[in-house]
Amino acid sequence: MRLKAIICEVLTREIEILIPHSPHKVDVEILTMGLHDLGVSMRPNVQERIDAADDSGYDAIVLGYALCGRGCEGLHAGKTQLVMPRAHDCIGLLMGSRHRFLEYFENHPGVYYRSPGWIEFQKPGQRLEQAALSKRNTIGERRSLDELIAQYGEDNGRFLYEQFTSYRRKYSGLTYISTGVAEEERLVCQARAEAEQEGWAFEEIRGSLDVLRRMLNGQWNSDEFLIVPPGARVRATLGDGIFEAI
Amino acid sequence: MSLIKDLYDAILVGDVKKAHSATQSGIDAGLGPMDLIQQSMVPAMDEVGRLFEAEEYFVPELLLAGRAMKSAMELLRPLMIASGQKLGTRIVIGTVKGDLHDIGKNIVASMLEGSGFEVIDLGADVAPEKFVSAVKESDPRVVCMSALLTVTMPAMRTTIRALESAGLRHRVKVLIGGAPVTSQYAAEIGADGYSENASGAVKLVKEVCSAA
Repeated sequence: MRLKAIICEVLTREIEILIPHSPHKVDVEILTMGLHDLGVSMRPNVQERIDAADDSGYDAIVLGYALCGRGCEGLHAGKTQLVMPRAHDCIGLLMGSRHRFLEYFENHPGVYYRSPGWIEFQKPGQRLEQAALSKRNTIGERRSLDELIAQYGEDNGRFLYEQFTSYRRKYSGLTYISTGVAEEERLVCQARAEAEQEGWAFEEIRGSLDVLRRMLNGQWNSDEFLIVPPGARVRATLGDGIFEAI
Repeated sequence: MSLIKDLYDAILVGDVKKAHSATQSGIDAGLGPMDLIQQSMVPAMDEVGRLFEAEEYFVPELLLAGRAMKSAMELLRPLMIASGQKLGTRIVIGTVKGDLHDIGKNIVASMLEGSGFEVIDLGADVAPEKFVSAVKESDPRVVCMSALLTVTMPAMRTTIRALESAGLRHRVKVLIGGAPVTSQYAAEIGADGYSENASGAVKLVKEVCSAA
């Protein structure tokens, strides 16, 4: 098959491992990570790339994305089937199973997740801003203490910073998901250092490339993948399958 | 009266010290808590909501106004309790189980308090059982639930089911919100309403309370 793979940057190194082993011709396009910051406004960014590939005669467009806070809800292609792995977000993908993720999530409240891509590609302080400037529903929690003090004064600036960072203080652990990428030990060390800096417990768990491998190998079983026929779109159900095609 | 205006202005600009001192001055001058709440606080928070809708105020301004209002309430609440005054229609609010995000929930709680409601804030990561206990113990009119993750949204459905099983569902209105939440989801799980943002949430709470 000829496949187009539109992949979130956070999965770059994992995809690099898997692509050479796919029996299919895969054209890969990597989109900057952090689009989920835009919430549902993420959708046009991914949709635009789907639209650009739709007329190229691919047998399928496979997406290295998940529901992503509903950012991928509504995705569609007019001529090509879309294939999406069933997960709430990349953490579920990297754990190799949305069920494994759910179980881990329920048993480990207050955990911050990291993976090779989160360590390597997340740009500190990067804020993806919506093109249309409706700030009503943005919180602005990425602003630094200095920026807030400059705008609101010492007392109010500090108060706002405390408010914006309070959820981080509620976290108690950092879990690094290892996926076997090159030089992973260095990434594990960075993750561990971040945990220490925050005063969080650190755990390393072994991830799995199985779902991503099956995606690139064309092994699209309905339990692990949603196939969106041409003309249909993704709709979140939030049930066991996460989403459906309508 | 200028003390009324002083408190109104202080809340509007998020000046916590002035809000506190204007409230104290008002109390010292013989103004009752309800005078200050109805004539300063509620209009100030209404104006904050209007400015937010007009995109002149954003989340930081809401938080600062809420903080100023709360500092006023710290002085007024003991006086109201001591004189047996009702604190306003009771609302229970919390972020659902597994979810630690609370900024939006905090803003809604503070705007509701500033609008004259009595708010019981259960915090974040609130299990269904804890919502049920809070309804049993406090007999609120409304339960507000927040979720910021699609993975924790199903806890909203579970909490509604828990209220049903406890025979309490009919006693409260359940309203939901949070970035990934939608009005369709609210309808699907049997919630009574949904709001996209904090000022909408306050309007919705007022509507459901007055439609009793």
